Amino acid sequence: MENLAPGTSLSNRFVRHGSKHSLAAIITVGGILFVAGTMANNDPLLAPLWLLGAVAGFTLQRSRFCFASAFRDLFLFGSSRMMRAIIVGLVIATVGFGINMHGQVPFPEFGVQPQEANILPFGPSTVVGGLLFGFGMVLSGGCVSGSLYRMAEGYIGSWVSIAGVLVGMGLLSQSWNWWWSTTIVNEPRIWIPANFGLGYGGGIGITLVGLLALFLIVLWWESRSGLSTVPMGRSERSEDTFEEKLSVFWNLFFVRGWPAAVGGAVLGVIGLMMYMTHMPWGVTGELARWSNGIMTLLQFPPPEALGLSDIGGCAGRSDETGIFTHTFAVTVGVLPGALVGALFSREFKLRFPQSPKRYVQALTGGIIMGYGAALAVGCTVGAFFSSVPSLSLSAWLFALALAFGAFVGVQVIKRLA
Amino acid sequence: MELDVRGEICPYPMLKAVQAMKNLKGSDNVVVITDHAPCLETIPPQAGRHGYSFQVEETGGAEWTITLSPLGGAQ
Repeated sequence: MENLAPGTSLSNRFVRHGSKHSLAAIITVGGILFVAGTMANNDPLLAPLWLLGAVAGFTLQRSRFCFASAFRDLFLFGSSRMMRAIIVGLVIATVGFGINMHGQVPFPEFGVQPQEANILPFGPSTVVGGLLFGFGMVLSGGCVSGSLYRMAEGYIGSWVSIAGVLVGMGLLSQSWNWWWSTTIVNEPRIWIPANFGLGYGGGIGITLVGLLALFLIVLWWESRSGLSTVPMGRSERSEDTFEEKLSVFWNLFFVRGWPAAVGGAVLGVIGLMMYMTHMPWGVTGELARWSNGIMTLLQFPPPEALGLSDIGGCAGRSDETGIFTHTFAVTVGVLPGALVGALFSREFKLRFPQSPKRYVQALTGGIIMGYGAALAVGCTVGAFFSSVPSLSLSAWLFALALAFGAFVGVQVIKRLA
Repeated sequence: MELDVRGEICPYPMLKAVQAMKNLKGSDNVVVITDHAPCLETIPPQAGRHGYSFQVEETGGAEWTITLSPLGGAQ
């Protein structure tokens, strides 16, 4: 895909990677490892989570992973490419999570739920949160995790989106107790294996069947759209010498974008490893913590959130104190990881939106998305990508609401070209 | 025609490229200039749909040109 100028000799191509970009990338890797070393002094789980967060960021950048486009492109032009990639990751994580949860809670029917799994409230808050999040992510051009890694790639619009997310989360924090007493307090947290005598076999089986059905539906949907899959042209170059062979692998890993499905699979494994270390992947909790911190600095602290810490999931951990928390590790770690990917592939660039409209879209979409994420106690990562494998029914309702929200968002953004 | 969509992110580069192909109806090439790597995955599948072929070139500095040419040459 990324054809270099004709006439450049292979050795020159390879040498070009030894540019200042690669040097900056290596320095960033050093920085990531240095921070990991500092973290290891206090808490044995912190450094592994930080490194996994960085690998997640690298993977997101390399595979140009985008939860927002997975939902949006289904309605915009019938493409199911990114949604299929997510499904690949979910299948892997579902089996892995199931085994890990079985270790914690061998008999699900006794009513005890695995502590760190993202089993979230199922009810009106899930629907409203999903609708708002789906609409907001399409309007702003990326979901929370997508905007985070694009911040590291130099997208100024994504910085604006995340600022909006912090504002939206703040608005929700101020009104959480209203939502809690109106609906969330009555919403069950439905863990599939604990119901209908399903157990782990049934819970995992039903989830996998659901994912297969989703796969077939989006594939059928794509076939109706007339979108053809284009064979991506392979460059014809000789691969004879050691240097040439090495260059091919280097390009495959560090320069060309990875196939989305590879990204999905790697993210599924990373999510599982994070869960095995401590908790499933999520990025909402850390941002909610910042939002609350900023409001406290501005003398406008949110009221004590009723019931939130019992829910678990990402936002349930937003009361952790100190800078280097587990949520910090898996959220902020994404940025340097993505930066490494952007530098090695020479895709780092400060990009300013040309039209003022785009700033308004990024900010407004971010605010709506932040409000939705805080309400649903998670984003496309915590309440969906980590929640489906947690065998939580809420994840499916959230995904359905996301799709509806994205559909409405598509109708709006088409008119904002 | 030249279509400079630098600074734009998904889905706008793709939407604008499609619009350009529709407007030109195969009368001219569309040369899309972008700094958004995900377009390299989204624009090429649209080319065949609208009777165009595509060629991607990395021009350096995190920028690419995607040249969309009418199949069978410009009319």
